[in-house]
Amino acid sequence: MQNGEQPAVLLVDDEEMVITSIRAFLQLETEYEVIGITVPEEAVRHMETNPVDVVLSDYLMPKMTGLQFLAKAKELQPEAARVLLTGHADKQSAIHAINDVGLFQYLEKPWDNSQLLLVVQAAIERTRLLRTLRTKVMELDEAHSNLKDVQSRLLRAFL
Amino acid sequence: MTDEVERLRGELDLLNRKLAEAHKMASLGRLSAGIVHEINTPIGSIFSNTEVITRSLDKTKALLQQALETGSAPPQKAIDILNIVSSLNDVDKLACERIAGVVRSLKTLARVSSHEVRNTDVNELVCHTLKLTKTVFRQRVEFVQETEGVLEAECYPGLLGQVILNLVVNAAQAIDGEGRVTVRTRELGDSVHIDVSDTGKGIRPEDRPKIFQAGFSTKPIGEGTGIGLALSREIIVDTHRGSIGYDSEPGVGTTFHVKIPTQQQKKGE
Repeated sequence: MQNGEQPAVLLVDDEEMVITSIRAFLQLETEYEVIGITVPEEAVRHMETNPVDVVLSDYLMPKMTGLQFLAKAKELQPEAARVLLTGHADKQSAIHAINDVGLFQYLEKPWDNSQLLLVVQAAIERTRLLRTLRTKVMELDEAHSNLKDVQSRLLRAFL
Repeated sequence: MTDEVERLRGELDLLNRKLAEAHKMASLGRLSAGIVHEINTPIGSIFSNTEVITRSLDKTKALLQQALETGSAPPQKAIDILNIVSSLNDVDKLACERIAGVVRSLKTLARVSSHEVRNTDVNELVCHTLKLTKTVFRQRVEFVQETEGVLEAECYPGLLGQVILNLVVNAAQAIDGEGRVTVRTRELGDSVHIDVSDTGKGIRPEDRPKIFQAGFSTKPIGEGTGIGLALSREIIVDTHRGSIGYDSEPGVGTTFHVKIPTQQQKKGE
């Protein structure tokens, strides 16, 4: 994804009503593409072929917890920022595992829309910066390799 | 002498019911984390939606005002926003229904009407019990109520509800990882049968003689009081003149069978 493109936010929650509420808010306040998926396995499949900027996931879901899902998301798209949205009841276990998946942020239900927007905006900025950095590093690598090529050709020409 | 025995029996009966009531509240308390989570989700949506609806109406108003001032047609954006408001309104309705459903189940199971025999829909008690238990275990346990419709029996609804709650929570706790808890009810002759099955680890042969004894528990500290099954037995056998038993196979699961008469005998009969 190029940085000029519309940012993509992936919402994963087994509760359709949560997805509808957050999607409505983001659609009203931003120009982001918002994808809502209720089954984590489907969200994994989505990420296999579609780049996203932010993944916002619930913690307690059937079959796969939010942390298991975010670990997969990290494997598939390490630069996409990962945000956990969780109810108070599972806070403790979530905190214990935060480092395992390199969470960008942790939000509690019931969530505050303004805070959620700030987190999503910051997450998109971070993802885009990381992608720009990766592109620049690649360009630098390529320039370096070109330079080495020129250098060796120069050496060959003079020696 | 007979009067004294009768008085002591009455006192014991009252104490037992108080103990049953306290145990029921403790059981419901253990479900509280799940119930809070169950209510928090729709509350989160309602909070968010209320704010989004306010923002949406402000934006729509501004768009329509602008169209009015310039003499142009209402913009498509205003219609899109109103569609969002409409979908959020539907979500709010569902969210309120869900909160009301949990509260209804809590009210049904927590009511303190243990002292009177009433015609009760046993299936409704099962339905409310499963709804609350599901809030805690739904990530790994599937709950199935096999019998729908009304199934009436004369009983102490608060006490019978507690027995069903005990058995369903025990069944879910007996399952390591994923599994299923099934509750089947039926009327056979002049009795109502309630079977609670799980696909859990089963009861070990060495524990079987002790499971109905007060103070015996195989659960970790904090998860079990050790009086749930002893109380259930007393409520079913002594209070309702019914029976309670089980079949269990280690590694396959357990089914508890509860049977109570559809009509309770009057005192002294």
